[in-house]
Amino acid sequence: MTAWLSRWLVRLGAIGLVAMTAIVAWQVFGRFVLSASPSWTEQAALMLMIWYVMFASAAGIHERFHIRIALLEELLGDRAGPVRRIVSLIVAALGLVLAIYGVQLCISVRGNVIPSLGLSRAVAYFPLPVSGALMTWFALEQTLGREKD
Amino acid sequence: MELAVLFGALLLLLALGVPVALCLFGASLLCFLAIGLPPVLAVQRTASGINVFALMAIPFFIFAGDLMYRAGIAERLVRVADATFARVRGGLGLVDVGASMMFGAVSGSAIASASAIGSSMAPLMREKGYPGEYAMNVTVTAAIVGLLIPPSHNMIIYAAASGIGVSIGDLFVAGIVPGVVTGLMLMGTAWVVARKLGLPRGTFPGWRAFASAAIYAVPGIMTAVIIMGGILSGIFTATESSAVAVVYTILVGALVYRTLGWREFWQAAERSVRTAAMVLFIIAAATSFGYALALLEVPAELGELIGRMTDDPVLTLLVINIMLLVLGTFMDMAPLIVITTPIFLPVAMDVGVDPVHFGVVMMLNLGIGLITPPVGAVLFAGAAIGGVSVGRMIRTIWPFYLTLLVALILITYVPALSLGLVHAWNG
Amino acid sequence: GCRSRLAGTFLAADAQPADYPTSQAVEWMGRYLEQRTGGRLSIKLYAGAQLGSETETLEIAGFGGLDIVRVNLAPLNSIAPLTIAASLPFLFRSADHLHRALDGEVGDEILASMRPHGLIGLAFYDSGARSFYNTLRPIRTPADMRAMKIRVPGSDLYVAMVNALGANAVPIAYGEVYQGLAQGVIDGAENNWPSFESARHFEVAPYYSLTRHLLTPEMLAMSVTAWDRLTGSDRALVREAAQASVPVMRQLWNARVEKARSTVLAAGVAVNEVDIAPFSALMRPVWDTFVSTPEQASLVRRIVAMGDDA
Ligand code: NA
Ligand code: NA
Repeated sequence: MTAWLSRWLVRLGAIGLVAMTAIVAWQVFGRFVLSASPSWTEQAALMLMIWYVMFASAAGIHERFHIRIALLEELLGDRAGPVRRIVSLIVAALGLVLAIYGVQLCISVRGNVIPSLGLSRAVAYFPLPVSGALMTWFALEQTLGREKD
Repeated sequence: MELAVLFGALLLLLALGVPVALCLFGASLLCFLAIGLPPVLAVQRTASGINVFALMAIPFFIFAGDLMYRAGIAERLVRVADATFARVRGGLGLVDVGASMMFGAVSGSAIASASAIGSSMAPLMREKGYPGEYAMNVTVTAAIVGLLIPPSHNMIIYAAASGIGVSIGDLFVAGIVPGVVTGLMLMGTAWVVARKLGLPRGTFPGWRAFASAAIYAVPGIMTAVIIMGGILSGIFTATESSAVAVVYTILVGALVYRTLGWREFWQAAERSVRTAAMVLFIIAAATSFGYALALLEVPAELGELIGRMTDDPVLTLLVINIMLLVLGTFMDMAPLIVITTPIFLPVAMDVGVDPVHFGVVMMLNLGIGLITPPVGAVLFAGAAIGGVSVGRMIRTIWPFYLTLLVALILITYVPALSLGLVHAWNG
Repeated sequence: GCRSRLAGTFLAADAQPADYPTSQAVEWMGRYLEQRTGGRLSIKLYAGAQLGSETETLEIAGFGGLDIVRVNLAPLNSIAPLTIAASLPFLFRSADHLHRALDGEVGDEILASMRPHGLIGLAFYDSGARSFYNTLRPIRTPADMRAMKIRVPGSDLYVAMVNALGANAVPIAYGEVYQGLAQGVIDGAENNWPSFESARHFEVAPYYSLTRHLLTPEMLAMSVTAWDRLTGSDRALVREAAQASVPVMRQLWNARVEKARSTVLAAGVAVNEVDIAPFSALMRPVWDTFVSTPEQASLVRRIVAMGDDA
């Protein structure tokens, strides 16, 4: 289940990256060739970037691809189990913070409009709580040792 | 007290092996709580840390570089470069320095340069027998040099932050000689290290083969021409050029070389999204951490400290350099320029340092900060892109650090390197 | 540091540098509060966008992460719709006209409209008049701007205004403007004297044409979270201090404009006056698009009427 979810987060992210490429290319084309700069492109591309960075970051907890300093684990070798568990618990806790206060952030900015898109700022920020909740889920699964890696 | 919380939490989380982005997020979160600020602040700072247009260059150049690698465009380029430097041991290292410097110079962003050169050249250097960490050490250190060579948006930030009307034109001219000198020093180091490691010489395939390789490489070389030409002629901005590079690479790979199919395309997109997330999540969380540092006025207090310590020019510059290097290990470049320029520039000018010269010193100094842990965006990007651990990079990067430090000392204490060309330019 | 946050020190943010008139005025307000309360209330100002852009600090103040923010009305347009009424192009005829409108009832209504968005509007500061500068030629009529690529901030109103004048609005980041002008990605941009000077754009854009199309003011606001913690008399004192800082700010502002103007002129920039009638004649559709509620329309009508008295 989580492996399937994580794979789809990355796949969605890839679609976001390709869409962002098309949008910025269109911006250059519009200004240089059509002499009419589309005004929505900058904000739309930025919003996509927040989405896919946060979704792929959640997948990064499951796939363990995030950059970290693994010196302690290397030193402990076979006895690193408890340390890994503690790290997973910390990640789960921070994910929970991101989830809870991400919701609060979205509520707080829901009335702010993103210029040129006409959408609520909350639309740009909603991947933060979603990603936080997913991080907690992925990390808890690692703590409980149900996940094989 | 809050300062102890901030750094204590950061170091503890890093040591445990928590992902770096979450270390920065967690440390700033605890600091905000200690000050009495709401925890939602850490989430907001992280979100707006990604909400920056210039950062788009990172995923785009990572994507373009990966596509160039998968479509075989990078390989054709490297084959030509390899043949050209066939007689030099570790010749590809020198090529990498030159490419990263040029790329950093035009794109104005060290991390964009590390993204593009790293994701296209590093895999090929590995295939030719270069260790991954050597390739990335060369790439990230040379990318820093690009910050000195115009155009440089960091110099524009510096000019604005100076508040005394430092000319951006003068700053651009002042960066050229120090940039070239530092680049040559890095090439020297890359060569020495390559000899020590016994890295391979290239093989010269003969003039016929060389010429045909060069012809096949032309569409690849055009990538650089299009990016540089487009920026310099005003068709697109440096940030936009990164998206243009992606589109151009897709066209060349799919239509000219016909080596890029749907499969490779989606593989490249998925790999690039992972790499971009690693890098951008750290940058986002570093924004929250930088906010905590700004709130605690760490840079301002250091500025006062120098004023009390000494009024000797040589010592003042030494102390400022050390403080900036230390701050640079924790914070990113643009916020540091904004925060520290109004503090350190008056101190430096009091002892007779020219503000244009000081700007160049600051660029190199804070650039070095980009490749030093715990918060070294370019170093982390290099590790992520090259697929090497940060630990392995740091264990082998010191000859390059040392070179940059020597260059920094040289540029700090020989103002003529920066100002000579400016004076000639202004008549 | 900000160790005494709960003990009466307001955290304040300004995107302009510490020596800018807005920052100086907020510092002045802090000293005023300190004197009146024997140091019980004070302000700790973080200038130079250390704590984020204006849009970001507004968000932060909205949930109580900052106590006082100084922002232009433009970023407020996407939060509090009434602010649009004071942000229309070619609305204010002069600084006097602006002051007459904002120092009275119209201004009070706009300040009061901030509350549902988590902010308490305290006072208006000046922002001077924004005019166009470019790399090609002096602008005297809208025809001179035809197809010029003019950089605008990421605001729908600016995009509509520039396009209505016949130019091509290009919304790129402020930090990319200098290089954009130098390399020709854009032909021009627009701003007031002090920003034209301090961002060094005059080095690369030699024509400054005084269209004075926008006199959009700045607002000083407090977060509702901080406000609700204050006693009734402290609230009155904060308002009093903010109002008292307004004339101080205006004086600093005028001096700053003079200084910027002389620097720019000394650099050899060609400055020209403009007859704005043909420009403002093109603004009707822009006003119609952005003034959508009866409340906004009423404010605009009253502001326009005040201009006629002068
Ligand atoms: Na550069
Ligand atoms: Na660093």
